[in-house]
Amino acid sequence: MSFREKIAWLSLVAMVVAYGVYFTLVSPAFLPKGASTGYFLALLGGILAAQAVLVTIASIVLAIQAGRDANAPADERERAIARRGAAIAYFVLMVGIIAVGCVMPFSVSGWHIVNAALLALVASETVRYGVIVVSYRRGWHG
Amino acid sequence: MAKPLPGRVVNQIRLLRFMANEMTQAELGERIGMTRQTVAAIEAGKYSPTLEAAFRIAQVFGKPLDEVFQWEG
Repeated sequence: MSFREKIAWLSLVAMVVAYGVYFTLVSPAFLPKGASTGYFLALLGGILAAQAVLVTIASIVLAIQAGRDANAPADERERAIARRGAAIAYFVLMVGIIAVGCVMPFSVSGWHIVNAALLALVASETVRYGVIVVSYRRGWHG
Repeated sequence: MAKPLPGRVVNQIRLLRFMANEMTQAELGERIGMTRQTVAAIEAGKYSPTLEAAFRIAQVFGKPLDEVFQWEG
């Protein structure tokens, strides 16, 4: 498995776990009644910080294991796979942003919109990394 | 929408590496600016390289392009 594929797996797993926890905790089943802005900010900040620390440490470990491969520029296959992931994720992000920016302001407000926008970002990034790891695993002919 | 036409690119890279003093995938990758995994993917038919990369691979083995890559329809 190449260094970039490992980084894609790491990013995908970290994102799914971190935001899986976040969106579970802000779901109606778990959200405390009258949760304040401070609650949301602390929760989101904590999740973001934990994800950043975990990904940074794991990336350093993977880079040490990979040796000079970690510093090598991406080759044409890796660049093509990254472009494919970004192109597909773009459409997910567009749908999400249209829903959040054009539809939700007429029905809900506040943290619902913030969380929906965050969900759109997380969904598009998850699709991006998902496409990348699938392309690495199953092969892709460009 | 146009349907993809049947056929695929096959290659002789594994054989050519063997004939070139058992050159490793990593060595070939280094000479053409690709990772070992990408060379492995090309060999296995999981990735079709660009024309430029295909020419670079052929150049490493000193062969014309059509002795390295063939179209199997």
